[in-house]
Amino acid sequence: MEIKTITSANIPVFFNNLVKSGKVVVAPVLKKSGKVFFESVQSYDQVSTDYIQTAFSAKSVVFPEVEELFSYTKKEDGDFEFRNDMSNVPETVIWGLRPCDSSAFNYLTDFFLKENPDTYFKLRKERTTLISVSCAKADAACFCTSVGLNPGNVTGSDILLTAMGDSYYVEISTEKGKSVIDTALFTDSTEKSKEEFLAKVETKFSMDEIRERIQTAYDSAEWKHESMGCLGCGACAFSCPTCTCFDIQDEGSQESGKRLRCWDACGFGQFTRHASGHNPKSNQTARRRQRLMHKFKYSVENFGIVSCVGCGRCIRVCPAHLNIFENILNVTKA
Amino acid sequence: MDKENKYIPYRVRIAKKTQESSNIQTYRLEFVDEKDAENFSFRSGQFCEYGVPGEGESTFCIASPDTRKGYVECTFRTTGRVTAALANCEENDIISLRGPFGNAFPIEQWYGKNVVFVTGGIALPPLRCVIDTLLDQREKFGEISVYYGAKNVEELTYKAELEEWAARGDMNLFITVDPGGETPEWKNFIGFVPTILEQNPPKSDNAVAVIAGPPILIKLGMPILAKSGFPNDQIYTTLENRMKCGVGKCGHCTVGKTYVCKDGPVFTYEEVLGMPLEY
Amino acid sequence: MKLLQNKVAELFENGTINLMIGFKEALTKQPVPCFIEKASEIEQLIYTKDCKNNLSVYLHKPEVKQAGKIGILANIATLRALVQLTSENQFWDIEKTVLTVNDKEEVIVFSDMEEVEAYVQANFPEFSEEDLKLLDYLESLSREDRWKYWTEQFSACIKCYACRAVCPMCYCPQCTVECNQPQWIKTSAQTTGNLEWHIMRAMHLAGRCINCGECGRICPVGIPVHLLTVKMNQDLFKEFGTKSGFALKGDYALNSFKPDDKEGFIK
Ligand code: SF4
Ligand code: SF4
Ligand code: SF4
Ligand code: SF4
Ligand code: FES
Repeated sequence: MEIKTITSANIPVFFNNLVKSGKVVVAPVLKKSGKVFFESVQSYDQVSTDYIQTAFSAKSVVFPEVEELFSYTKKEDGDFEFRNDMSNVPETVIWGLRPCDSSAFNYLTDFFLKENPDTYFKLRKERTTLISVSCAKADAACFCTSVGLNPGNVTGSDILLTAMGDSYYVEISTEKGKSVIDTALFTDSTEKSKEEFLAKVETKFSMDEIRERIQTAYDSAEWKHESMGCLGCGACAFSCPTCTCFDIQDEGSQESGKRLRCWDACGFGQFTRHASGHNPKSNQTARRRQRLMHKFKYSVENFGIVSCVGCGRCIRVCPAHLNIFENILNVTKA
Repeated sequence: MDKENKYIPYRVRIAKKTQESSNIQTYRLEFVDEKDAENFSFRSGQFCEYGVPGEGESTFCIASPDTRKGYVECTFRTTGRVTAALANCEENDIISLRGPFGNAFPIEQWYGKNVVFVTGGIALPPLRCVIDTLLDQREKFGEISVYYGAKNVEELTYKAELEEWAARGDMNLFITVDPGGETPEWKNFIGFVPTILEQNPPKSDNAVAVIAGPPILIKLGMPILAKSGFPNDQIYTTLENRMKCGVGKCGHCTVGKTYVCKDGPVFTYEEVLGMPLEY
Repeated sequence: MKLLQNKVAELFENGTINLMIGFKEALTKQPVPCFIEKASEIEQLIYTKDCKNNLSVYLHKPEVKQAGKIGILANIATLRALVQLTSENQFWDIEKTVLTVNDKEEVIVFSDMEEVEAYVQANFPEFSEEDLKLLDYLESLSREDRWKYWTEQFSACIKCYACRAVCPMCYCPQCTVECNQPQWIKTSAQTTGNLEWHIMRAMHLAGRCINCGECGRICPVGIPVHLLTVKMNQDLFKEFGTKSGFALKGDYALNSFKPDDKEGFIK
């Protein structure tokens, strides 16, 4: 880890230099709807700095909503040609993701690469640099501190920036991070600590208690009540930085077309439905339970990681405003 | 599957198409590319994704034994868009194949033992592969018994094979159809598989049991086998959840923390008991 | 608030309901749907002008139906939805008790759907100013620019189907987007498929949409999806004089036929 400082006035210069270097720079942009989304931008003026959390996470850079797995053509002799070319996936910088999101990238990396490594994710991840910005503000939906993270947490980021008035505290964690720094703009760090510039996020629950009680939570009688409001859409999963589920769909004719993988969500009624009509997760209670158990139990068992990073997106985005931390507290009640 | 990119399929040619019943067919598939044929190896119990580009992919287990190389066979019922497109294919047509995926039956551990198979409907294929693997090395096993049922006579798959098996004389066959599904010539059992199983309980000493079929058959059948004395870790099954990727990524097949596609599809009753009822 | 809570407590006590669908205040301070199954939970219940959700959508949900006797706290949009859904022969399998709070903050417990119908007709809501303004703006654009506007909007759609999930009129057990024999609509979230999805949805809701605006309000991407059906309803009113969610024995332009229909193609 290297610690450096950059003046606030130089941040736009640094940013615009990244763009000039030919990389695609994806950063938070305020849209007419009043929501903030990650978008590819050309200059720092377009970047939103006054936001608590983006409506969607930046996972689409490494795991796009729609990924072309390959294209196919049927030749005259009836044989197929399958083509997959990812050479033009650009070098990308994600700017301004929050510390919870960068830590979500750690989970994604474990999930996609540890076993049966995923060719598409691997290449995209290799070509992505994460420059995160610590949180100075939080809202009632934020709960990173309950899942072992905090508004200034460095895990997952190549570089973490923390605004400290007229300068930024810069924590460079990786070689990739080092490679995008232009040294002229950065000086060796001051003695100041970043802590006082971070948002205060109240803990909503103790992960130690949850970890133990979740073991038996599957059979809790509370699931039905807790998920009564759930309407079975994909909003929570699609906005979540750690949801990885997808569907595989062909588009085109039998002569030529593409095989795509598209985001999918365990909240949809059709997600687990067999061709016979039998559905192992036959009601919304079971499907909502799957979501929470996956985040707080299954991913811990499979990867040693609680895969909810407490970003609060699913709470903000849910049409019924289901609150994941209230739900988890209630289903693990002693 | 050794390919680095798990999503790019092999191209396979339909070498033989057998119509098992009006909507069930068996395909023998040979690799278009000889190199693929050499690289492809599988073990009994594994499955593949079979596809018609433009329509999608569908999951079936490999129905041919791993003792016979150079081709794979699959048997499937027409139920939806992909299976309809597959069923429309003719001999010599080329389709896509990804796999093999998942774990396999630990057949080496069964040497010297009696093996009991219980299955229903379209679920004979996953077991046919195992049964034929055993028959190809018949001397290594004790008694082989098969309990197999279908809704009606028409829906019994592998009729030719069933006759062959009966003719061998070294297997115990309990073939049954659901009440009302029999034809006037039907001489075998009539009744649901669990009932036939309870009325003719298999000997459980020095034996393993393998059960496959619709979820309801597995849920009912496993306890019956356990009751007739099979230890929980000697009862095997193969689960068939909805699958898309085959490699533990898409999330469709999960049962609790378990991915049926990569941790299964073969599980023992002991393992199944530790899972939620999500299959 | 007390008035409402007491009324609901009474309904629980005399066995009229065993589940109450209403609103409570979330930690984030906004009113959100709540489901009361026990008397002890009644004190969560609130009702304010900001209670926007159209709770009638929950009456389609199996877990809710299971309760059998259901109380529902309805804003005017929800009441309209109930009228429309009743006219579409929904809800034959549940017993529901409908409550609302009127302008004078009085709690009304409707004794039947006819009363709901009368209340709706007396308090029939106008199209919202904001929607009309945006529609006017869109009408002022050229055809090409309008197409551009919607193409841009829908290219951002991620097909989370939240708009469908919150819609009380989208109750088909299997939506057209889920039919794949044939595949009517591309499932990937890309511009063409997205447009197909939204055109299909707008057509299925033409004259049935009760203008609660929920789909537009909750779209995580911020697409004003509801404008399509608002526009359809406007046109249907202009051309055929029909209003959705207005009458229990409604006449809906897209599912009724009259020999004197003004459209020639239908004859
Ligand atoms: S919890 Fe909310 S966002 Fe998630 S599926 Fe249910 S209704 Fe949709
Ligand atoms: S589950 Fe919700 S709070 Fe947790 S990481 Fe996902 S979107 Fe954020
Ligand atoms: S199973 Fe559900 S919670 Fe888990 S990654 Fe998939 S969509 Fe997200
Ligand atoms: S809610 Fe919005 S993003 Fe989701 S499907 Fe509807 S229009 Fe698309
Ligand atoms: S089939 Fe995709 S995770 Fe199992």
